[in-house]
Order: sequence, then structure tokens, then C-alpha cells
Amino acid sequence: MFLARVRGTAVATTKHSTLKGCRLLLIQRIEPDGSAAAEPNVAVDWQGAAIGATVIVSTDGDIARARLGNTTPARMVVMGIVDEKSTPVTVDAVSA
Amino acid sequence: MRLGIVRGSVVLNPALASFTGRRLVVVEPVTIANACAKNGCGGGKALVALDELGAAVGQMVAFTEGREASNPFWPAQVAVDAYCALIVDSLQIEPEQGRAGSEV
Repeated sequence: MFLARVRGTAVATTKHSTLKGCRLLLIQRIEPDGSAAAEPNVAVDWQGAAIGATVIVSTDGDIARARLGNTTPARMVVMGIVDEKSTPVTVDAVSA
Repeated sequence: MRLGIVRGSVVLNPALASFTGRRLVVVEPVTIANACAKNGCGGGKALVALDELGAAVGQMVAFTEGREASNPFWPAQVAVDAYCALIVDSLQIEPEQGRAGSEV
């Protein structure tokens, strides 16, 4: 699981049959220091996350399999929308 | 799933029985900067993915990586590591932060 920011949405007509009706979000993985991954990911969303929201994404496809069937290629699923996140503790702050 | 642009296809001969008749495409992953710019460029390290959707060269696809890539062939066990799950029609992306007012 990792934190990600919702950057946008993707629309696809031609897709695997199990993905029909799924909301597809373009997400960008974020690190505690605020840096973000260079390559975005596409995740299935059942939570209704808005663009700009911070979400938790699971990379385990079993949730998608349970919902979309055993033959789904979906892997990344938005597990929840982050409401509040504590400020990251740096190594310097711990040793001080 | 990552986004990628189809750059070409691969033909195998010989191949594992589970791969005969399958279409393999070379995809170049797309970085967030290129996705925002919508310039048709990728920027990532290319890889080979199995395609059942008939994606053409230049089209953007989203491909699943890892164990889940072989799920479409369940319960058969196929040594697929990347699978084109969808062909992207359009992307709606918010402008990159720190570049207020930039058109996407």
C-alpha cells in the first residue's frame, strides 16, 4: 500500500471486459518528503476520490479479483481517501 | 497499471505453447510530465506486454504488471508478466503543481 495523489482520470472504450463500468484514476505515488514518482499509475476506484485528493492504493490484485472476477487484470485499487496525515518525522528530529 | 505508448510488436518462433497465437507489443511507459504535456512521448524503460485488444502503434494503453497480468488466462498458468488491460481514449489531468495557469 502506498500514498498517492489523484492527478486525473482515464477514459477507455476498448478494455478488458471485467473493467467495464470501473472508474479509472490516474494516480501519482508520493513519498513522505513530498516528492512524487515520475510515472503515474492507473488505479480502479470505488471510493469516488476527487482529482487532487490523497488516497491509499493497494497493489494487491485480490481485492479486484473478488469484485471483478478471477480473470481481471486489475491490480491497483484505491482503498480509501486520506482524511488526515501526520507530519512526517525526520531522522534529524528524532536524534535531536 | 502503468500507462504506456505502443511502439511496435514482437513475433516469437518458437515460443511456449501458451504464447502461440498471442500478440506481444513493445510499450514505452509514460511519465507524468509527458502525460500532462500530451506530446506522445513516453520517457520510461520499454517493455514487452501481451495484447488482446489490438492496440496500434502510437496508441496509449494501460498495462498491468506482476502476477495479476496472467489473471485473464485463469485458471491456466501463463508466463505473462505484463498485460494490456485497456486502450486509453482520453486523459483528464490536473496541471502540475507549481505551474499555475498552465494549459493541459
